[in-house]
Amino acid sequence: MPDWKKIVREKLGTLPLTNGRRDEVIEELAQQLESAYEEALAHGVSEQQAMRRSLAQFKDWEKLRRELFHSVEGARLPVWEQNGFFSPRRLPVWTVLGLSALLLALPVSRQALEILPVPGGYPNPKGSQMFSEAALRRIEQSGDKQKYARALAFIALHSSKEDDPRAVQAAEKAIALDPQLTWISAKMSHATYLYPGYDPHPWIERLKAWDPQNAFPYMLEADANVHWWEPPWSQFRGASSGVRGNFAAEPRWRIPMDKAFAAPRIDFYDVQQFALDRQALLEQGLDRPDVLFAAGWSQPVPDLQLITFYEDIQLQDIGETAEKAGRTDEALTAYWSVVRFADRLGASPLDIARFCSNRLHRDAYKHILALLRSKGRADEAGMVDSALSALPRFDYSLERPGYPSVEATATRSAWVMVVSAVFVALLGAAAALWLVFVIVLKWKADLGVSRLLNRLASPLCFAPPSLLLASMALFLGFYPYARSIAQFHSYKELEYGYAPVLMGLYDVTRFGNLNDVWLLHMFWPTVWCALVALVGACVLAWVHSRPRPDRPDAT
Amino acid sequence: MAVAPDRELKKGNAELLILALLEDQARHGYEIGKLIAERSEGVLRFHVASLYPLLYRLERRGWVTGEWEPAGGRRRRYYRLTQTGRKILGKQRSRWRAFSAAVNRIVEVRHA
Repeated sequence: MPDWKKIVREKLGTLPLTNGRRDEVIEELAQQLESAYEEALAHGVSEQQAMRRSLAQFKDWEKLRRELFHSVEGARLPVWEQNGFFSPRRLPVWTVLGLSALLLALPVSRQALEILPVPGGYPNPKGSQMFSEAALRRIEQSGDKQKYARALAFIALHSSKEDDPRAVQAAEKAIALDPQLTWISAKMSHATYLYPGYDPHPWIERLKAWDPQNAFPYMLEADANVHWWEPPWSQFRGASSGVRGNFAAEPRWRIPMDKAFAAPRIDFYDVQQFALDRQALLEQGLDRPDVLFAAGWSQPVPDLQLITFYEDIQLQDIGETAEKAGRTDEALTAYWSVVRFADRLGASPLDIARFCSNRLHRDAYKHILALLRSKGRADEAGMVDSALSALPRFDYSLERPGYPSVEATATRSAWVMVVSAVFVALLGAAAALWLVFVIVLKWKADLGVSRLLNRLASPLCFAPPSLLLASMALFLGFYPYARSIAQFHSYKELEYGYAPVLMGLYDVTRFGNLNDVWLLHMFWPTVWCALVALVGACVLAWVHSRPRPDRPDAT
Repeated sequence: MAVAPDRELKKGNAELLILALLEDQARHGYEIGKLIAERSEGVLRFHVASLYPLLYRLERRGWVTGEWEPAGGRRRRYYRLTQTGRKILGKQRSRWRAFSAAVNRIVEVRHA
């Protein structure tokens, strides 16, 4: 006769019932097996077959174990007693949890999570919100302490306001420490119209003295001297010729613009700012291409409207007038001055400068072509005509062959990233809860809330394996774009190689009013409400699970 | 030929079957399983893996009590109805009668 109790004990394994109940259950099940065995023998089958028939009554001993515990105790089997594939007693759940943590700790995943648009974390062109006050203060203090000019220059470039005394002081200190950084004066003198009362001229004069061959400081000077959108100039707004005529007669505008058009080169210091931003971010441990990309938005660019005003003066007021008066050479000189300026402007990597250059070229060539043809200078006209025909249409899709497919791929990656990131967030929270619960249950199993924690922890065992899948999706979605900022050598590279996925992320998460109103203002309150609701649900479940003295037959 | 009853139908009435078998006398688990099969002429067969968890659940609810008693040279755990269990049986039986009568009226009677 088989030892049925021993068999049942071995098959059931640990069954954490109290007060001798475990032994009773084992004995009762053993009797069931024994009775079935004896009955089979009585029907004339062999002992082996009888034993097989008897044991066949219980096919899934693990399920039986769970159900027995649940029936006797009215609660789930403690998570530390469960034998499921992803139960905490077994290795797989810890393996997938470790792999998930490892995957999320990799630079690729961290960068992917960091660039996701989260309410309150959206970088913006004003630059000030990109870097927190605390971060800027830390960089400034570090620069001050170490007498490090580039850190101070970074503060000057990215402080929230151009008239911020801190930015001005940082710029002064940076230039004093390293005069090669005088180009940051362009930032300090730029866009002064935003801050009435601020005088940018000392910075402009400093920049002119340091870089006299550059057209940019003169454009900044003209920009600072005359604000065409303000009185008295704004009264001519309706008529371009009116503004132009008055500008031409205003030496504070005309002289710097003359110098700008005559200057041998144009440099907006974008290369210098890119190198400085990249170095400063790397030194601060902020290896984020999105931040480097957004940092470029604070780069000063002159008011291109002024260039078009000056172009009109050269082409129409001077050139056409001279042409009508029969002074062909004088007219051509005026027209060619625009072409030469456009050549220099077109050398800039900035799209907006190249766009402006394209327009200047086109307008000037048309004037030159008409004049040369009218004078019968066919050879020269042919060359100009070729140059005019060779001008590219300023179209992004033509400028960047294959760019639409790059954008489409980036948008798909962005979708994968956003969806997987949502799952990573939800499953990460679930896995964290599961981890806390199982740890508490392991070390404080006698707590009054252990039954509730156990009830919550059991279904949460799905979280670690699911988290691994979501983490892999996030990793793979962003992997093609994951690069250190040290690998980018210009804003152009960032714009072509990285910006598509960044813009894709913002496109994917653009929900109109939902984004502006709900996500911006209601996201975190909603999260808090959800947490409160979760806690409330847990309390209700706990209350519900308690015995009801008024209902002795309650289930 | 016995027709296998719908699983949900059996599951929903498992408590009633057990309570009914314990109405007149105390029985042990093996006996309950055998009686269900015998009295239903093989139509109802209770899976043993479900029987014992159900018995323990009824015991936890206070509808039955289990006690070890000697039987045939060994001891067995006999289950008896409690007062609460008897009331529950009465309610469940009434409900079943009403339900089966209603179903019969629809299924068995041919309307003109």
